[in-house]
Amino acid sequence: MQTPLHIDPQQAFNEIAAFQRKLAAGMQNLRGLGEQEYANTPREAIYREDKLTVWHMKGNTKPTAKVPTLIVYALVNTVWMTDLQDDRSLVRNLLAQGEDVYLIDWGYPDGADRWLTLDDYLNGYLDRSVDVLRKRHDLDAINLLGICQGGTFSLCYTAMHPEKVKNLVTMVTPVDFRTPDNMLSQWVQNLNVDLFVDTLGNVPAELMNWVYLMLKPLRLNQQKYVSMVDILDNPAELKNFLRMERWIFDSPDQAGEAFRQFIKDFYQQNKLIKGDLLIGKQPVDLGMITQPVLNIYANQDHLVPPDASRPLGRHVGTKDYTELAFKGGHIGIYVSGRAQREVAPAIHQWLRERG
Amino acid sequence: MPDQANEFLKDYQAFAQQSWDTWMRYLQQQPGASGASAPFGFNPATAAPTDDLLTRSLASLQAYGAWLQQVAGAGAGAGAGAGAGPMMGNLGNLGNWQQPSTMQPFLAAFSQPFAQTVAGLDSASAFGLDHQWQSWLYAMQRGGMGGMPGVAGMGSPGPVAAFGLTREMQLDQQALAAAMNEYAQISARYQALLQQVNTQGIARLQEILGQRVESGKQIDSLKSLYDLWVDAMEEAYSQLALTDEYREVFGAMVNAQMHVRKLQQQQTEQMCRELGIPTRSEVDSLGQRMQQLRREMQERKHESAQADTSVVDALQAEIASLKRELAANKSGTKAATNVRPIARKSGDDTSKSSATSAQRAKATRSASAKRK
Repeated sequence: MQTPLHIDPQQAFNEIAAFQRKLAAGMQNLRGLGEQEYANTPREAIYREDKLTVWHMKGNTKPTAKVPTLIVYALVNTVWMTDLQDDRSLVRNLLAQGEDVYLIDWGYPDGADRWLTLDDYLNGYLDRSVDVLRKRHDLDAINLLGICQGGTFSLCYTAMHPEKVKNLVTMVTPVDFRTPDNMLSQWVQNLNVDLFVDTLGNVPAELMNWVYLMLKPLRLNQQKYVSMVDILDNPAELKNFLRMERWIFDSPDQAGEAFRQFIKDFYQQNKLIKGDLLIGKQPVDLGMITQPVLNIYANQDHLVPPDASRPLGRHVGTKDYTELAFKGGHIGIYVSGRAQREVAPAIHQWLRERG
Repeated sequence: MPDQANEFLKDYQAFAQQSWDTWMRYLQQQPGASGASAPFGFNPATAAPTDDLLTRSLASLQAYGAWLQQVAGAGAGAGAGAGAGPMMGNLGNLGNWQQPSTMQPFLAAFSQPFAQTVAGLDSASAFGLDHQWQSWLYAMQRGGMGGMPGVAGMGSPGPVAAFGLTREMQLDQQALAAAMNEYAQISARYQALLQQVNTQGIARLQEILGQRVESGKQIDSLKSLYDLWVDAMEEAYSQLALTDEYREVFGAMVNAQMHVRKLQQQQTEQMCRELGIPTRSEVDSLGQRMQQLRREMQERKHESAQADTSVVDALQAEIASLKRELAANKSGTKAATNVRPIARKSGDDTSKSSATSAQRAKATRSASAKRK
């Protein structure tokens, strides 16, 4: 009988020994590496409110774009995924293309932020940040670039304040929250979110991380670290690995009330595409979005499956809707080599064509 | 060769111990870490709470190390008949990889790492109730509530009818014990579901191996075999995690745990109130009121800014109008018949001025009213 397994015993011995040897030697390499820095593109804080900061990102040359672009990141994890390191930075790449880039750093909510609602985030913090940029640039409207949950926020915001947004770019953004392949959505359908938030208050970052790890438990919690052993003797790769680890686990808690509403209205009731979503007292009608929209999704996204993103085209009111499929995953769209070559130039070109 | 294999395993174990000790020394320098002794044999059940950080840092590598050991040693029984050493026996028999009896010891090596991984994740996460439950119980016992019926009697038959001075507390304890029991039952259902992943994942691995035979692609290292196993298990897990049953059990598990925590909080708060310590509910209540006030303040600020803008707009429009009139007066004084009456008489300047004041006052009143 044929077998696909051709593992030479001596080679297997050597493999195990090599693993142990690398493991033992790896400790020496880990020692002294310390905390890996990220987000080291020069920047200036132009607005602060509570824990929020709006940063103006500085490139090597003056921006050529006339309209600034504000990056709106998700409340989960931090915005620094867009500026992880010199050679893996959406921000740097956009700056290099001539864009004028700002980003919102939501900060780390604590007990004082327990009662922040989506209305506070969108019609409060986000709206005031947009106003700051409009005033700073003496413009009626600016560009928004929303990422993941931040993309959903950008959609809601644009629908509520269309006069303040010139062009809208969404990246790996969930729009239809009830597609059958959306594991996160499946898991929260039977969740009693009132009991959940009433009990926990703010949702701990550690719990959020646990949920994300459980999407692919072996790959994310075991195989990744087994593979790490292979790079323990490569300081540069090890630093990259540790930097990513820092980003993954250095994540903020979620403000309880905003979390409650996001799970109920978006994940459980899918109100964004049903058209009966209210943020505060304001209705959110995606049909109100008549400005140009560029929707970028990732083909292998396990957090926001393409089917959750693509329906956007059917719901926005604009006649200028463009979709871009990226070959990669939810994180790869920012940090992979392909992303460095493709994403920022595509966004820049699309924006340039629209003035 | 068998001697070589046995020698290798001895060397391997010594090396693993040495490697483990080195990592332990490294990690002991990290805050919160403490020692352990077994190479890849860490047992979370016997770990002190301070080992938590260490467990979480090394769980994945331990699981992989355990798998390597098991793969190397699992064939000892299966291969004994052939007179081979453990490692050799196992790998040497894989020509019969499609026979369940032959594969059983080999495949058994695959089940433990998945269980360890998920269990490790679960117990280490904020969802893991074990540590939290233990520390809460300890705190309650120190607070003099350890003897309450219901807490110690978690496994005892049904609740006793409550009465007397401590009636309310007895009811609280019974509710908590019932909630904890419910959580334990649902948690067991969840674990049973996860066990299906083992079975289905291993079946999937065998399918993949079969496909490899057909395509002629060979597996020539333990690591590539491990990677295939991960693919198979993730596929099986993904299918399970998208089922209605998983959705129902997962939701029920989280809800049950939140119920337990909520009851714990209520009891803790009761104790805090008796001791005059501010409670989470009170802090939350203050926070909620504060946030509402901040919201109202922002709304008024916004309305005020809008009102100010409308006043400024009115004044600017008025200035522009006056400038136009002034320009018209300068250039067209000769054609007086076409000029508006208010500009013709000196006395009209006063009337124009008072009309303007009235407009300004109206605008100001309007702004003031909006502020209110």
